[in-house]
Amino acid sequence: MHGFAVFLGKELTEIVRTWRMWVVPGIVIFFGITSPIIAEITPGLLSNMAGAEGQGIVIEIPPATTVDAYLQFSNNIMQIALIAVIIGTAGAIAGERRSGTAQLVLTKPVSRTAMVLAKAVSNWLLLFVAGAVGAALCAGVTAVMFDTSLLAEFAAMVALWFLLSSLFVALMLLFSALLGSQAGAAGAGIGAYFVLATLSLWSAAREYSPAGLMGLGDRILMDQPDLSIAWPVVTGVLATLLAVAGAAIVFKRQEL
Amino acid sequence: MNPAIEIRGLTKVYGQTTALGGVDLTVPEGSVFGFLGPNGAGKTTALRILTGMARPTAGGATVFGHDVVSATNDVRSVIGYLPDVPGYYPWMTAEEFLRFAGRLHGVTGSVLDDRVASLLDMAGLAGVKQKVGGFSRGMKQRLGVAQALINAPKLLMLDEPTSALDPMGRKDVLDMIAALRGNTTVFFSTHILTDVERVCDTVAILDHGRVVRQASMTELKREGHAVRLLIEVESGAERLLSVVAGQPWAMECDRDGRVVRCIATDMGAARRAIPAIVAGEGLGLVRMIDEEPTLEDVFVELVGGRD
Repeated sequence: MHGFAVFLGKELTEIVRTWRMWVVPGIVIFFGITSPIIAEITPGLLSNMAGAEGQGIVIEIPPATTVDAYLQFSNNIMQIALIAVIIGTAGAIAGERRSGTAQLVLTKPVSRTAMVLAKAVSNWLLLFVAGAVGAALCAGVTAVMFDTSLLAEFAAMVALWFLLSSLFVALMLLFSALLGSQAGAAGAGIGAYFVLATLSLWSAAREYSPAGLMGLGDRILMDQPDLSIAWPVVTGVLATLLAVAGAAIVFKRQEL
Repeated sequence: MNPAIEIRGLTKVYGQTTALGGVDLTVPEGSVFGFLGPNGAGKTTALRILTGMARPTAGGATVFGHDVVSATNDVRSVIGYLPDVPGYYPWMTAEEFLRFAGRLHGVTGSVLDDRVASLLDMAGLAGVKQKVGGFSRGMKQRLGVAQALINAPKLLMLDEPTSALDPMGRKDVLDMIAALRGNTTVFFSTHILTDVERVCDTVAILDHGRVVRQASMTELKREGHAVRLLIEVESGAERLLSVVAGQPWAMECDRDGRVVRCIATDMGAARRAIPAIVAGEGLGLVRMIDEEPTLEDVFVELVGGRD
């Protein structure tokens, strides 16, 4: 795998020097800080709204808890941050082809597999750091506003988000190589997101496929019985590796 | 000695279109080789195959003995390549891009430092702190030549390096290419004849995916293409043309304003007879010279009539 380390260095520098540094980490960090606050004020807001209506309906809204703060964070990063990951990585390979950088770089002794793998690893590192910083902030604000319980469950939820995001990075590399268009890849990625979300409603798919990664963190936080963690994780990791390998094979066969 | 490039029966077909139809070509080591052809002749396709960016439909090619399909890394480690429209990472500076390109070739440490400094200097980009995204076309093209030289390649391949440049940018790039003579084999595709005449010592002319002629510049201009006599008169060039064209030695004559051009079967006889004809017709002779055929004449003769 000629040139992997050099290309990884270039990818990491690019992350630091461009918008990529701010989008997904910015979203995760923003929700890390605001989710516990939103969880705390939501019951009060809803009570005030119900009272203002004055229809005589009494809605009992229990005060927010640590679980609510973490679930708020989970919902936000599972949707908005994941869509940002999809859009942000759609041009990973298609962009290099369109701009002509692939032609200039790949006529040097660097393999296409190394290029694909460097892109995967750099994006995974970005997600890992973003997830870790966002989660630490969320846990800190939650500790101040609520308590420090459920930290292990919260860490598991964030780890599952990282796994699901990593799968989407891999899928986006595959779509970007396959379709050769940033917009096309983004569309395919969003389609894959909704397919996975729909499949997660079906119990068999939720138990035995990567679709189970969606909502699994929430169920851990809510301490639901009969949780099946192993299959979604194992199949998620396998699907990630297969998608990266597929992206490398597809890109290798293409003429530039 | 291995030729720098050896191409045999190279064919590339896209659907119903034949981009290359059995190209045979040998590029001698040490030459500045012009790969000349009109737009769409197949020059870029040939370069893409040589650099491993595309695969041939049939036939093959070697670069310094390495097969371009099966030994891509061996080929890439000895070549430098500049595509027709080089793409850069806009957030990098010229120096950063050269360092990145050098490291991809495994060049590091003081060797990389020295090469980067001398190539930036050669490209006129030393001290430029601007990001590549803000470069002019000329600066990008000069950086393109510099990055292609970062590994001190045995073979430099340039695809239309001057086609998008203004006259000053063209001059800069051609000067850079000319300065490489004797150090590196240069394979240079273009459709601009004057660029080839200026820097190349050997030429292949490609048309409709086939090499129609390969020769040294001198050979190409002389072999089979006669010297013409150019006769300029003060007036009456039309009358002069009709008289000259009727001479037994006149092979092919034409007129352009006050200038008559004539290819003769016996140049000596023509040189002796023409002043007498001009005087006899009462025309004022402005000049009479031997006109060497230009590359354009050769090019038009070889590919001009085809469609």
